[in-house]
Amino acid sequence: MGRVVGIDLGTTYSLIAYMDEQSGAPRTISGPYGSSLCPSVVSVDAKGRVIVGEDARNRLLTEPERTIYSVKRLMGRGVVDIQDELKIFPFRIDAKSDNVIRVVLGDKSFTAPEISAYILRELKSWAEAYFKEPVDRAVITVPAYFNDAQRQATKDAGRLAGLEVLRLVNEPTAAALAYGLHKQKRGHVAVYDFGGGTFDISILKLISTTEGDIYQVLATNGDTHLGGDDIDNALMDLTRNEIKAKYGVELDHRGEDVQTLRKSLIRAKHELSTAEKTLVEYPLGAKGMYSREITRTEFEKLIAPIVARTMAPAKMALTDAKLTPKQIDEAVLVGGSTRIPLVRKTVGDFFERVPHSELDPDEVVALGAAVQADILESGVKTMLLLDVTPLSLGIETMGGVIAKIIPRNSTIPASAQEMFTTGVDNQTAIDVHVLQGERELAKDCRSLARFQLKTPPGPAGLARIEVKFLIDANGILQVAAKDLRTNDQHTVEVQPSYGLSDTEIERMLEESIDFAEQDFAARQTIEARTEAESILAATDKALKNAGANVVAVDERETIEKSETELRTAMAGNDYKLMREKIDALNAATEHLAEVLMNGALQTALKGKSLDEF
Amino acid sequence: MDYFAFFAMPRKLTIDPAALEGQFHMLSWKLHPDNFVRASEFERNLSLERSSELNDAYRTLRDPLTRVEYLLEFLKVRKEGTTKQQAPSELLEEVFELNESLDELRDARAAGGDVAALRGRLDAAAQNFQAKLTEVDAELGSLGTQWDAAFDSGADDAKRSALLARMSEVLNRRSYIRNLVDGVQKEIAAA
Repeated sequence: MGRVVGIDLGTTYSLIAYMDEQSGAPRTISGPYGSSLCPSVVSVDAKGRVIVGEDARNRLLTEPERTIYSVKRLMGRGVVDIQDELKIFPFRIDAKSDNVIRVVLGDKSFTAPEISAYILRELKSWAEAYFKEPVDRAVITVPAYFNDAQRQATKDAGRLAGLEVLRLVNEPTAAALAYGLHKQKRGHVAVYDFGGGTFDISILKLISTTEGDIYQVLATNGDTHLGGDDIDNALMDLTRNEIKAKYGVELDHRGEDVQTLRKSLIRAKHELSTAEKTLVEYPLGAKGMYSREITRTEFEKLIAPIVARTMAPAKMALTDAKLTPKQIDEAVLVGGSTRIPLVRKTVGDFFERVPHSELDPDEVVALGAAVQADILESGVKTMLLLDVTPLSLGIETMGGVIAKIIPRNSTIPASAQEMFTTGVDNQTAIDVHVLQGERELAKDCRSLARFQLKTPPGPAGLARIEVKFLIDANGILQVAAKDLRTNDQHTVEVQPSYGLSDTEIERMLEESIDFAEQDFAARQTIEARTEAESILAATDKALKNAGANVVAVDERETIEKSETELRTAMAGNDYKLMREKIDALNAATEHLAEVLMNGALQTALKGKSLDEF
Repeated sequence: MDYFAFFAMPRKLTIDPAALEGQFHMLSWKLHPDNFVRASEFERNLSLERSSELNDAYRTLRDPLTRVEYLLEFLKVRKEGTTKQQAPSELLEEVFELNESLDELRDARAAGGDVAALRGRLDAAAQNFQAKLTEVDAELGSLGTQWDAAFDSGADDAKRSALLARMSEVLNRRSYIRNLVDGVQKEIAAA
């Protein structure tokens, strides 16, 4: 089995980190240029080769039409969603885009998950070079306020990069985990995460229990389209307007000139975090040199409205957590934009305390992801994350009104059951529309998926189909339906409103160069063997811990026989046979697993007789 | 699914929040999907199911209002989401006045007339109903205490049913007033 890592797939930069066993601390891994920050920029050259990171960022200046940055803004979104962004960002959208946006890079077009997958692969290669071992599993972070489609798109990107995504973890939660390890904090913590393209605020409660520390998210809020990018754009507007007024030169926002200007403005922005003033210069050829001093005061005035936009989500999260700013014990700053003094002051004023920033705000999310990856992988449970769903889940009812079935800030996994029936005689299909959001009307919320429940013809109201909506620990929706009259489990074909279907991902995987180069069967064999190893280990452990009262002699024999057969299959290279034996072992241990799970519950309840109630 | 049994608690309406939270955390350690990442698909699904039930149960019992709603639904006294939309008789007069003020406000707004005075009247009405909401909550609390006492003393079914029926009635009134207050606040905000 390969290594497991934590990845921060950011708007501006992405990072990869791992848990260093010797020091017991998470560490980031650096790339070929010695930095742990991989610019989230992807470029495709004339030969169709994909370039990622620093080299791709340089190509923003030379080949902007073949290069894309801030692709995270497009994850899980439809063409209609991004019209405003297209005015500012130089995204070249393929006219053939349907429910998934395709971006043109040179003479090919790519979906956002595919482009993100290239970034993930680059990071994966950094880690593989460092470990000299394959890396195949990862915890990937997402903004806490990402909706279902955006999360699914991130998971798809992981899959396309050849990574098993163990968990999607919310960025502020990951940061809290890294800080918790670092400082052993207790009480209520507010994580203010202002990154390159997204803003999140999470309120957590850190609790010590006899079994370990619990990081319980009480509430989260944010804006998935608010970040350092917006500050850059404000500076761009200012300078472009001045250049136009003074020199009569209009810079095309999609051209290469504007990228040169953007680069120097970002440098100016960084300088203003420490200096009181900075100089921006931009050559205009024969027309001379645009030269402009920007003072911190002027900069702060310019960005004040952007920073102010973070306050409404912060207040909302506190209200939802039923806390006041005074009840927050610690405030933590995460994300590159929190280096800006005005941002620090705003957060400090709001929470009435000096916010923490001991850990590098660029690295802390990746470090937290590595901690969580280690927790999930090692089985050593000393920390537990209880996260929440950021948005309410609802279904459309009559008149386009939403019926909320899982409220926002519910601890995940969370579920809700709804009963559906027919409205007219001989109706054979019931349409269900699932949405996410806080507004009352379906048209104002985010459409997640639509599906149809099939039922045999009959009188109206006779059908009784129970649909279970479940938000898993990644914040992703699962739907299952059951016909209560026949007890048949329905398969629900959920068509995501914005996203790739499983078939599309399979096709992309098959088409992707990396995998085409590899022998398909060899990869399948490795995967089957990995899975077999972990199942065998789990089964051995379960059998060891289960006493004679839990597992009968003949049941134990059946399980052991299945184990032996699987081990024999593993010695060969027939992945189909291995799969078959894995399934057989799974079937043989179903009863045992159920008993153990219920046993865990029983132990938990021990000492209290259920008859009392 | 009996949420009370999930937490090994009697079906009483007074719950110590710290005890409930403690149970929630302890069960989370055992059931959370993070513990089953490398387990078989069957176990992963089981953990997902049980931990979502745990979270649903905690979310429901933590809040006193959803707690009593749940108890009534669980004991089949009321169905989920059913609320009588008919005004409670003792409120009829006030509701009638309120609706008149709301109509006037809408008319005034449509005609571009003076909404300030009407707004004051509506604010007062909203406050009045808000106060009634507090009364209803107090009544609900008192019924809850009675329910717990009946539970402890092993009161007969007739007495329990009577209490449950009254709680259901109060909940209907509460939901009616709540909608009223929300509606008024929305109109005021729009004006």
